[in-house]
Amino acid sequence: MRVDPNISAILNIGIQNTQQALNRSVEQLASGQRVALPSDDPAAAAADLASLASSASVDSYTRNGNAVLSQVHMADSALSSVISELNQAVSLGTQGADGTMNSADRASIATQVQSILSEVVSQANTTFNGVSLFAGTAGVTEAFVADSSSATGYTYQGNDGVNSAMIGSNLQVNVNVPGDQIFTNSNGNVLRSLQQLVSALNSGAANDIGAAVAAVSTAITNVSQQRVIYAGTVKQIDGQESYLSQETISLTAQQQSLMGIDMATAVTNMTQAQIAHSAVLAAAAKVLPTSLLDYLN
Amino acid sequence: MVGLNGTLSIATEALGAQTAGLEVANNNIANANTPGYSRQVVSLSSAASVQNGGSVDEGVSYDGFTSIRDSVLSLAINGATSNQGSLTAQNALLTQITAAFSGTATGVGASLSTLFSDLSALGTDPSDPSARQTVLQDANQLLSDFHQGASALSSVTSAANRQVAASVSEINGLTRQIADLNSQLASSAGDGQDGGSLEDQRNALTTQLAQLIGVSNTQTEGSPTLTTANGSPLVIGGTSYPLQVTTGSDGNTHVQDAEGNDITNALAGGTLGGVISVRDSTLPSLSVQLNSLASQFATAMNSAQASGVDLNGNVGSAMFSLPAAGSAAAGISVALTNGSELAISSDASTNSSGNLQAFLSVQSNPLASGATPTDEYAILVGNIGSAGSKVSNELSATTTSLQQLTTQQASESGVSIDEETANLIRYQQAYAAAARVISTVNNLYTTLMGISLGGG
Repeated sequence: MRVDPNISAILNIGIQNTQQALNRSVEQLASGQRVALPSDDPAAAAADLASLASSASVDSYTRNGNAVLSQVHMADSALSSVISELNQAVSLGTQGADGTMNSADRASIATQVQSILSEVVSQANTTFNGVSLFAGTAGVTEAFVADSSSATGYTYQGNDGVNSAMIGSNLQVNVNVPGDQIFTNSNGNVLRSLQQLVSALNSGAANDIGAAVAAVSTAITNVSQQRVIYAGTVKQIDGQESYLSQETISLTAQQQSLMGIDMATAVTNMTQAQIAHSAVLAAAAKVLPTSLLDYLN
Repeated sequence: MVGLNGTLSIATEALGAQTAGLEVANNNIANANTPGYSRQVVSLSSAASVQNGGSVDEGVSYDGFTSIRDSVLSLAINGATSNQGSLTAQNALLTQITAAFSGTATGVGASLSTLFSDLSALGTDPSDPSARQTVLQDANQLLSDFHQGASALSSVTSAANRQVAASVSEINGLTRQIADLNSQLASSAGDGQDGGSLEDQRNALTTQLAQLIGVSNTQTEGSPTLTTANGSPLVIGGTSYPLQVTTGSDGNTHVQDAEGNDITNALAGGTLGGVISVRDSTLPSLSVQLNSLASQFATAMNSAQASGVDLNGNVGSAMFSLPAAGSAAAGISVALTNGSELAISSDASTNSSGNLQAFLSVQSNPLASGATPTDEYAILVGNIGSAGSKVSNELSATTTSLQQLTTQQASESGVSIDEETANLIRYQQAYAAAARVISTVNNLYTTLMGISLGGG
């Protein structure tokens, strides 16, 4: 059989093919990506998009968790000072109930309790980004405003709304506890009990003072109970955070294995491509100049 | 017995025959690198022996030369060339699309993620005006990504239209040249005779034509005929039938045969066939997917808006508006102008994020088509990638098989310089030998003349 006499055409094809393989392996090594275009591996490219979307969701869950935490910490520290102030009011009330006190002493204690009351109201009006933390979802700057017509002396401006934030694909946490549940709850009304204590101290009736002190104690119990809700949120977010950081690691690993190169394989591929390319070039250098004419004189 | 004159004439014929051999070898060497050239061999035969009164008159007879070519192989090469032309054109167009949809940090997928991340941040601080404004910016970014995707697809369509027009004018040029060659061949070579290099030229032009359009090669009443895959004539004998282009009702460039029939959908193979298949089948299906994602997503977000109340206490108005007709991805726009119009509240209270879940569930719930928006986009990118990878794999397979066919053809028809060098030596020596015969006969005559002179 006659063979193709045009060796250079065959060599050109070979050189092009090995050059292409070499370029591709170098490109992969340089970029660290196995899949540069979706057509390199359509399934991996599609899976990578889905995985990137999950990563973005995980990032947003983490951010949401942190945003909730900063609000919750603020609310929790406000409630913690409210409790210590209420405890102080209880001990002041207990002092005032002592029969050895005269009315001037009681009046001075009443003034102190009154200032505790305004302290507590100012804690209840804590704002975050200009919006009251304890006004439900009402979006007002003050949850409680002074109102002489009210039994407590204050009116709640907020509502019962509770916002929630996504911290997992199926996990939401409550961001706030409505202020009326904490400060004007029928199971322990902080503002009214303090108001009651002030009036009792001013009037001087030991029974009334005792009842008012008991009411303040009930209010302490209620605030502590409501505080537990915040503590629960913090616990949930903490637990979710470690899960989310684990999730980020595994998603990143997934994306790397979908789109990235395996360094060892890529280096081996490049070495192979390089050897093949040099072999073709060497063959071309050997074969191309050969001609019968060289041997004829 | 052959006389001296007979010997002399045999030697003279031999000189002519060997010279013809040298000429053919020379011509082969001269055309060693001419594309489409088939090597020629000289046809020599032993001259008819004539019984002439007991004497035998023999010698060599030069019967011209033959081109060595395999017409069946040429047809196979034309077929593979058409295929390769089609795939090369498809590959070039699809690479443009794949590149436009290759971004992972940008594009519709990334913008969807950003939009939903920033929406979900409103859960903790729903009345924050800057957070609301960020969501609107994300929505604008998303729609500009939709626009870019749509314009990437439509710009490939217009590139394809330009390519159709350019290919048709190239095809018409080639068919005219082939028709000219057909007339020349008809007048110069008789029926069944080899056309030599004219035929080589015609074959080379036919292969070029096959690169542009799928052709079928037949004979009609003795004239070589080239038709398109569906049978519309391109060349019959010495007449060419130019194709025409018109703009169809769909705005695309259509191809008509010489009689004005629209043959756009019937064309297959070659650059023209490949471009038309991407333009009329791959691109529309990708556009449909992108448009359906855009319109379903917009509808879902609008219904989430409608279930909530904005910061101004109004029931949420549509977030996106879709064009009444035409491409949804190209015409989608953001209808809201201010972040306060986002209907995040479930009641009228301004700091409520009660309706946020309606928005977030657009991300996690399947659209009417059955997949979530992100998955829908991933499917689209996967389809674009598959189309590209299918064509590029087929292209490399076709290229390999075309290379094999070409090698096979070259092994049959290609000029080998070494072989021709050997032929040169062969003919040169035969020539020298024939010349020696002439000089010997000359000596014999001289001897004879000497005898007669000496005798007289």
